[in-house]
Formats: sequence, C-alpha cells, structure tokens
Amino acid sequence: MKSRIFVFSVLSALCLVGIGATGTLMATAGTGLSGDILIGAVWSLTGDAAVYGPSQKNAAALAVDEINKSGMLGAAKLKLMTEDDRSTKEGAIAAFDRLIKKEKVIAILGPTLSNSAKAADPIAQDAKVVVLGVSNTAGGIVEIGDFIFRDSLPEFAVQPNTIKVTMDKLGYKKVAVLYGDDDVFTKSGYDVFKKGLEDKGIQILTTETFKKKDTDFSAQLTKIKGLNPDQIIVSALAEEAAGIMSQGRQLGIPESVHIIGGNGFNSPKLAQLAGPFAEGAISGAAWFIDNNTPGNKAFVEAYKSKYGSNPDQFAAQAYAGVYILAHAIKTAGSSDSKSIRDAMANIRDLDTVLGKFSFDAKREPVHPPIVQIIKNGKFELFQ
Amino acid sequence: MTPPCASGEGDCMTQLLQQLINGIWQGAALALFAMGYTLVFGVLNIINLAHGATFMSGAFFAFLCVTRLNWPLWCAIPVAMIGSGLVAVLIDRLAFKPLRSLTAGGLVLWGGFILLLVGLVGDWGPPVKNGFTIAGAVLMLVGIVEDYRTNRPLRQRDVPHLAPIISSIGATFILISLAIGMFGAQVSRFPPNLFPLMPYQITKNAVISPIQALVLGLSLALMLALILLIKRTQMGRAIRAIAWSERTSRLLGIDVDFVIAQTFFISGALAGAAGVLLGLAFNRLEPTMGNEVELSGLTVIIVGGMGSIGGAALAAFLVGMIRVLSVAYVDSSFRDAFVFALLILVLLVRPSGIFGRSKTVRA
Repeated sequence: MKSRIFVFSVLSALCLVGIGATGTLMATAGTGLSGDILIGAVWSLTGDAAVYGPSQKNAAALAVDEINKSGMLGAAKLKLMTEDDRSTKEGAIAAFDRLIKKEKVIAILGPTLSNSAKAADPIAQDAKVVVLGVSNTAGGIVEIGDFIFRDSLPEFAVQPNTIKVTMDKLGYKKVAVLYGDDDVFTKSGYDVFKKGLEDKGIQILTTETFKKKDTDFSAQLTKIKGLNPDQIIVSALAEEAAGIMSQGRQLGIPESVHIIGGNGFNSPKLAQLAGPFAEGAISGAAWFIDNNTPGNKAFVEAYKSKYGSNPDQFAAQAYAGVYILAHAIKTAGSSDSKSIRDAMANIRDLDTVLGKFSFDAKREPVHPPIVQIIKNGKFELFQ
Repeated sequence: MTPPCASGEGDCMTQLLQQLINGIWQGAALALFAMGYTLVFGVLNIINLAHGATFMSGAFFAFLCVTRLNWPLWCAIPVAMIGSGLVAVLIDRLAFKPLRSLTAGGLVLWGGFILLLVGLVGDWGPPVKNGFTIAGAVLMLVGIVEDYRTNRPLRQRDVPHLAPIISSIGATFILISLAIGMFGAQVSRFPPNLFPLMPYQITKNAVISPIQALVLGLSLALMLALILLIKRTQMGRAIRAIAWSERTSRLLGIDVDFVIAQTFFISGALAGAAGVLLGLAFNRLEPTMGNEVELSGLTVIIVGGMGSIGGAALAAFLVGMIRVLSVAYVDSSFRDAFVFALLILVLLVRPSGIFGRSKTVRA
C-alpha cells in the first residue's frame, strides 16, 4: 500500500510541476522523492558470525546519516531498520518476514551469511523486494532471482587472483586443503580454490574437512603436518580459522607455511582471536584499508571518529552497499521496488569505496580484488 | 580423500605418536564428563540430560572468576568445580526430586526459583529487581531445608522413565538461557596469555601443549580420586548400596536423600572440571557448548556399559582415539560416522555395553 501511495504522490507531484514552468521541472525531476524511504538491514549481531555483523551495522548507519545530511535524495530521507538474524537461517527468515510484511521496506541489505541468504532471499524475491547482499560470497546467491544483487565479490572472482598472486611470490607446488563441509560459504570457497589450484597445476596432497562449531582440528592438522605441504589452503569462517591457526602453529607447522584463505579471514577480529598465530595469514579480499579508491580516506576517517575503531572489509562493503542503493533510488526517482531494481541493474562504473563499481548482466559485482597478509596483527597489502 | 598411507612417504608412522597424544588428552577430558554422567545413572537409573549444561556452567564459573574477579587460574578451577557441583545438586532438587517424592518444601523451592527467574529476567529498576531476586533466593533456601527435613512426602510415585529425561531437558534450556542472559550468545574467551602457549617437544615429531598436559594430568588425578572415593570411603559404600537397592539402603539407615545429593555434587563437579579444561584448551566458551559433548558422553556411557565408571573411562579413551585415528587414516568427513558405527557395533555384540553387567548390579 505504502509504495502505491508513494508512486501516486510522486506522479501527482510531477504533474503539478509539469503544469508549472519547465525550469522548475528540470530541478525537481531527479528528486521527485519525499518522506521516509524504508530500507531494511539484516545482520548477524549475535551468534557465530557476530565478528562480522556489528561493523556492517555501524557502516550502514554511517552511510545512511551521510546520505540524509547531504540531501542526495532531495526531500526524501532513508530510514534504516536493522534486524539481528543471530547467525542462523531461521533468524534471517524471520527478519525478512518482519521487514517485508510488517515494515513494508522497499529494499533489504544483507543478510551477513551466505548460508542465511540462500534461505531468506527467496522470500524477498517472491515479494519483489530488492535485496543487496553486502557480504555474501558463495556461489548461487544472485541466481535466486532478478531482485537479488550483491556488492561483495564472490569467491570465484577473488580466489583465482589470490592463488595467482601468492604463487608468483611464494612459488609453491604442493598444498594441503582444509575446509568446512557443512556450510554453503566454506564449501563454495573450497570449490573455487580447488578449481584454481587445478588450473595452476598445483598438487593437492590431502583434503581434510571439519564441521561448523568444531573446536578441535588437531587430528586434521597433524595429518597435514606429516605431509609437509608448501602452503595450507583453508576455507573457513573467522572463528574456526582462528582455531586452525592456533592449533596448527602449536603443533609445530613452521611459519614458512602460510595459511591462505578467503573472505572469512577478512576481519581484524581474526588477528585478535588467533593472536600471534594469525601472523602471515594471507587472504584474498575486495577491499583494503589503505585502498586508494574514491572517498575511501574520508570513509575510514569518519568511521574511526564515530566508532573508535578501524573499519574492516565488511564495513566498507556495507557502506558502499547503502550508497549503491541510494544511487539506484535516486536514478529511479521513485521508491517503487521494480524501478529501483531496474536502475540498480544498470549501474556501471559508479565511484564507491570499493573502486569503480558495476553490476554485470547476472547482477554480480565487478571491481578489482586485492590480496592481503596479516603482519604485526594488522592487514597489509601482500606484494 | 587421499589415503596418506598409500602415498608411501612414511608419514603414517611419524604422525602416529602425535595423533595418539591428540586422542588421549581429549579422551581424558571426555572421561571426566562421562564418569559423572554414568555415576548418576548407576545410582538413580535416570539419564541426566542436563549434564551438558552443568559442563557449560563449570566453564563459565571459571570464566567469571578469571575475568571479573581477577583470580588466578589454579584457584578458578576448584571454584568452578564447586559451583557446577552445586548447580547439579540444584538440578536434582528442582528437576528430579519432585518426581521421586514431592514435598511441601519442594513446592516452596519451585516457587522461590520462579521468583528468582522473574527477578533476573524482569525489566524493572534495581530495588524491585533485587527484591525479587533476593526473595526468590531466600525462598529457595527455605525450600531446600524444608524439603530435606520432610520425612513424609505429599506424594510418592513411580513416574514413567521418560519424565526425568524431559525435566532434565527443561533444566538444560533454563541453564542455557541464563548463560545467554549473562554472557550473551556469542563466543566468550579467556584472556590470552593466561597459559603459556608454546608446546613441549616430546620427540622430533610430537608435541604437547602445556594446557593439554594440564588437562591430561588433572583428568587422570580426578579419575583416580573418584575411583578411590567410590571403592574405599563410607560415602562410596553408601552410593554403591543405593545403586544396588534404594529400599534396602533405607532400611539399613542410610540417609538416601543426602547421598543422592552428594552423588549429584560429585557428578556436577566432574562435569564442571571437564568444562573448564576443554574451555581452556580450545579457548572457546559458549552457552551451547554442552550440546556436543552431551552426545559424545552419551555414546561413551552406552559403549562403556551404563552405570560402570571404569567402563565409561575406558570407552572415553576409545572414542577419543577412534575420532582421531579415523581422521588420520581414513577421512575427516566420516569422523562422527565412525564413532556411531562403534556404538552400533557394541550394541550388537554386547547390548549392555563393554563393561555392562546384568541389570541389577551397578556401580
């Protein structure tokens, strides 16, 4: 209902303006929006993925504030409604239901985990509400439907680059692989790594698995250590990755063997959780704190002064997500989901903190990835 | 997926010692957990499914001592054991005792408990909130004393076997919710540097970290203490007598109710010790951490023979070894499948478990 009233009021406003002078028409056509535009956000603020959610929440709130202050959307203001999915599929489904049916949002940012996105995104697709995932990197997310977008580079766009860059520098020939086989994200990360390694002709000595919530990896790591791999490829979320790094180093896997991973590593929390054992961990990423991209410096400064800590990649992607959505709303000139969807699908070379940002024909994000390494507890560019 | 031994690089033997260490220290912690589990079963013939939640409470008691009170670790471990022992006694009084024999004191205890929960959960200012909480706690104390002093229960009945299982599941949920309320659902961690991190080198290819050595040493010591307690002391004799026949023990003048409370205390303290030790070893505490160990524990006590303490200890080491060796020499994806295959195998060959005796004689 609300959106229809919006469309109606927007149309009537345009008519009124049309009757008036053409000069005023030019001025208001792009910003024919008014009132509050409701957008939802579903983050994992508690539970296993609570290392990622809070920074997403902070960054999204920061971006919404900036947009509302700058008058980017004319008379209209974005109103962000945040929900916690407790890092579970069930929580994400409940949050989507509430945001779509009760709050009648026009678009949703999130959810944090790919696993939850696979479960909850179909609800939004059915209701024709735009979803912009800002941290989903598993395969098969945007395939859910034409209303589903993401600004987070999928693993298959990042990891082949990670393998190429690390191989050029480290020149390894044989690796061991360890991944979580009961999670959509870690499994699809594994598939991508496996393909990348095979393409490069690198020998995989062994492939070991673990389960979500496992705490003990010593048996797998002892076996890996016995095989003397040049590097260890790990597809895991930060919690498990921290356990793997600590136990691996304690078992005596030498420092020269780097632990190379995917998006799950890209939180400063990893260095906190694993302490000195996180040193030398390498991961492919979509963003990096000293990135020389438009507005990045200002974003890092604003985030630091508002929240007192450095933003991470998840913050940057959430921040960029809000701007991408706002840009689509502005271009569409309406708060109708369908026109926002169309505007969003046509975004090409938009300046964001992630770099020049485009959506491809499949609504997948396109921008250059980077490779980073943990040194002295901080991410640095791997080069 | 690639069998390591087939590659012929000789890595099979080099990793064996390390894998045995991995299996042994975890088996020891699991044994601590399982022995308390099986002890309560031996005495009361009930499966206390809240044992996993008691395990979790032990870890969090130690966490409280170390982080909020800044106590050293060596003093946090006994405190955690006593704390979780008391939690287990309370679980008995609230979830099991009213099913065995309901007294007026038991009702008062429940009333006080509900008041306490309302006080803890309620959304009021400090005076009202504290009032509820303190009133609840006092009422609970009165209830416990009254319950203990009552000779003639309001009702004494044989409840169906499932009833204690259901009420212990309820107790689990209450404990987990309380822990979530106090510490949050996210993972809590002991401060780093609580324990030296770098491992001791045993041989060229095998290491053991200080915390693993502590887990192994303390678990073995507590196991020995429990066995001595059961076999050599008056209290142990009373426990064994009740396990054999509650009615006979009562006739002999044993204070059955008190001995049951002691049994729960011992069982809870052992679970609490296991909780602290595993919590320290993986440095990962969360309110639901008991669920997984609960399942392994259940497997262990069934394989070991329900009610047999030595059987539980041996089965725990067996399960620990199988978990590790199945990863080392078969495939990590099938780790849990192997453990449960063992369970089925044992049940096929010896339905009463490896050390299970005929139905009447236990503990």
